[in-house]
Amino acid sequence: MDSQPKLKLVEKGPCSLDNYNNDYFFQHGRIKVKTTAEQQEAKRIEREKKLKIYQGATKTAFEKRKNREYDHEALEVTGNILAANPDFYTLWNFRREILTHIKSNWEEENVFKTFDGELYFLEQCLKVNPKSYGSWQHRCWTMENHTKPDWTRELKLCNKFLEYDERNFHCWDYRRFVVQMSSVPLKEEFAFTTEKISTNFSNFSSWHYRSKLLQILHPDKSSSVGVAENVMLDEFELVQNAFFTDPNDQSAWFYHRWLLGKSDGQLSLQCIQASRDLQRVLISFDQQVKIGFDGLVVDLSINGSPVNVEWLSAKDNYSYIWFASVPSDLMNDSNSAIEITVKSEKVHQVQRLNLAAEQKSALWQKELTSMNIFTRDLGAATTETLNQELAACQQLHELEQDNKWTLLTIVWLMQALNPLVHHEDVLNYIAMLTEVDPMRKQFYVDMRSKYVMELTIQKCHPSVLEIDFSNKQLTSTHHLELLVSMVTINLSNNQLTSIPSCTLLQSVTDLNIDNNLLSSCDFIANLPALEHLSLKNNEISSVDDLLALKSCSRLRSLDLQGNPLARNARSRAEIGLLLSGVEIQL
Amino acid sequence: MLAVNISFRSQGTPIKDASIPENAPTDLFLDKHRDFIAAYGAKKDDYEYVLTEYLRLNGVYWGLTVMDLMGALDRMNKDEVLEFVRQCQQPCGGFSASIGHDPHLLSTLSAVQVLCLYDALDVVRVDGVVEFVKSLQQDDGSFYGDKWGEVDTRFSFCAVACLALLDRLNAINVDKAVDFVMQCMNFDGGFGCRPGSETHSGQIYCCVGMLSIVGQLHRINADTLGWWLCERQLPSGGLNGRPEKLPDVCYSWWVLSSLKIIGRLHWINKDKLIKFILATQDDETGGFADRPGDMVDPFHTLFGIAGLSLMGQANIKPVNPVFCMPEDVIRRIGVKPQLL
Repeated sequence: MDSQPKLKLVEKGPCSLDNYNNDYFFQHGRIKVKTTAEQQEAKRIEREKKLKIYQGATKTAFEKRKNREYDHEALEVTGNILAANPDFYTLWNFRREILTHIKSNWEEENVFKTFDGELYFLEQCLKVNPKSYGSWQHRCWTMENHTKPDWTRELKLCNKFLEYDERNFHCWDYRRFVVQMSSVPLKEEFAFTTEKISTNFSNFSSWHYRSKLLQILHPDKSSSVGVAENVMLDEFELVQNAFFTDPNDQSAWFYHRWLLGKSDGQLSLQCIQASRDLQRVLISFDQQVKIGFDGLVVDLSINGSPVNVEWLSAKDNYSYIWFASVPSDLMNDSNSAIEITVKSEKVHQVQRLNLAAEQKSALWQKELTSMNIFTRDLGAATTETLNQELAACQQLHELEQDNKWTLLTIVWLMQALNPLVHHEDVLNYIAMLTEVDPMRKQFYVDMRSKYVMELTIQKCHPSVLEIDFSNKQLTSTHHLELLVSMVTINLSNNQLTSIPSCTLLQSVTDLNIDNNLLSSCDFIANLPALEHLSLKNNEISSVDDLLALKSCSRLRSLDLQGNPLARNARSRAEIGLLLSGVEIQL
Repeated sequence: MLAVNISFRSQGTPIKDASIPENAPTDLFLDKHRDFIAAYGAKKDDYEYVLTEYLRLNGVYWGLTVMDLMGALDRMNKDEVLEFVRQCQQPCGGFSASIGHDPHLLSTLSAVQVLCLYDALDVVRVDGVVEFVKSLQQDDGSFYGDKWGEVDTRFSFCAVACLALLDRLNAINVDKAVDFVMQCMNFDGGFGCRPGSETHSGQIYCCVGMLSIVGQLHRINADTLGWWLCERQLPSGGLNGRPEKLPDVCYSWWVLSSLKIIGRLHWINKDKLIKFILATQDDETGGFADRPGDMVDPFHTLFGIAGLSLMGQANIKPVNPVFCMPEDVIRRIGVKPQLL
């Protein structure tokens, strides 16, 4: 049995390693200093000396490990290296092997002292390198394996380290570990965040912790934020205090945005299409789903008899759109009463569609005019709360005209309250945002595009399968999952560079994207109904950029006038080869 | 309820930021960067080199990837590298950061990435790698970094990325792995190390990248997350990793690649970020630093170059935003991570 260890932890002296931990590698923020040749030479000699010690120590440590020498000296030699270089993870592993050995072979008193010594050593390491993953992880391990862990002391250590740096996420994580292991009442932790926030509102880490604690302390499953309504009101008051104190502090605004919440909305069918031609049923949802997963089952029956079909999506993964091929004898020339049943833990929806004898295809779709699809973004808060918050933000806006956070929050609140009524104001505020925060202009104009498209969709007549988004300064497209059944779509005269979810437009026959900024058609793929595509005055410069159009099998006409590729004399012949049978305008 | 007097301050908290010196570089010195990386591995007795042995294999990946992106992979010693990687594979199948060190998921992903760059997976025992990764998955779907039990979403990314590159994703329980990552999502739309941990751009990259590989980006609230990410850009043009922190070139990778994956790269100001990244070059030695005027290293050099690549810089190969490897390599392997 080993003798009782008395650890000499870190040697302080001219040749010890821990004096140099400020320049170990990849530590951020090392300023490059110009030095003379003489200084460089002196540094070189010093480093050479230091290197020898380091390499010698490493060699000793590895040899001891190989020989399973789990003794006092092994702790000392690894300790010297780790004090300087706490990311040398293999040596922490060796120390854990040593400590495990000690725990099962030494007397209890000595085990206790050794583990306490380890905690003391770690504290010294953390003081020098408070952001070392390895040191914090080893502290967790040491506490988990300690014979008499003193968790109260650990919580105090967290307090101390959070005083040095209130944003050290390693320490916050260690704190959560301590709280969990020692069952610290979460109410006390909540009070701790209140105290931290009251000394400095600009403490994102505390706001974050608060968001987590609230969901555990005051859970409410009916609210999308997951927190009880009465508690939320207190939080609104606190966060208002924060942003009235410092309107430029982003922490409070991010927290405020969270309080306003986003409701998930219940899964719902968006449309059903039955096609006799294609012998196919298509269904679309308002969310991406994977049929057969997450407890989601979709049943199809025709004329009262269940039909066993396989539901497929484009990428065999989560998707808005799903198809099923129907055996030809089930959708023949007679009347077909189609019924779709969607079942999951939370949903049971039955939807019927009649494909009459003379019809080639039939469509059912959910009305787009109902406003609630688009006001979900801030679904957690009540109208009363939203109005109160809007009044407060408008008051702050009067005082701080150029404050972007206030402007943005006003936009969100108005949009959640009534997008139709506030539409002009919203657009004005967004224009102001692009002025006061030009760096994020694209974020704001994309948001504008979203609201403009939402309004257009809401105003669209439910029985008309045509929608016009032209001349709306759109920079991006949104909610294409709601346009699955649209036959004619006009997106001309906007500023679009791409249409990422274009394949959702499964019914479109006429698509007009004239006068935009498209440099490629990569996204116009697998549109089975597309017949006429107009891309006049875009930035398409190469025939290769049209390759994806080959997957649109019904394409009959393509207008490319005013694109850079029109200037190339060979383009017409090349496009003809690529898309044979399509009428090309160049 | 806390009592706080409402008071108005004409000037709020000053923004923490770096400044770009007037004489900072504005051109890209590719030749110097190639020389910097090529020379780096040659200084084997250098103090810094020895002290960073615990991440040697990661360093090899950084160096080779940035050289490949700069079209100079042939300047590296392929045989020496492959022999080193081979020797780092341990009996358990995982790779250690260097010879004599312990196996870990972080170095295992680097090893697989290096082998993919050289199209040389046959040099190692692939089944062993798969077994190692598989052995680290826990019942809740999370991954240990090694047998000692540290859990972190970084390891979820490493595991999934590693297996995707080996075309062996079916070896683990992907659904559970996704469930665990989703438990780490926060009020701001971002992700932390573990359930309950604060959002950090590096962890966002790992979690978003992981969800991209398994095709489940629909679980992310891309608008909320994109807003938080684009707010990382500071007046200097540089990006920070969390609110109220200093900008750093490595975040031009973690933030930018995350934005690219969720289809919102254009929400930051590219010109200003390019200016910031270029200003962190050392025009004497080559290489990039975290901030203008600081010491350069291979880590920041890779992420500086990769960031420029994502923003379409000429003379640099396109980089894949999920794997941080050249697109042509990812195409050759046939992996197709999801992008919004």
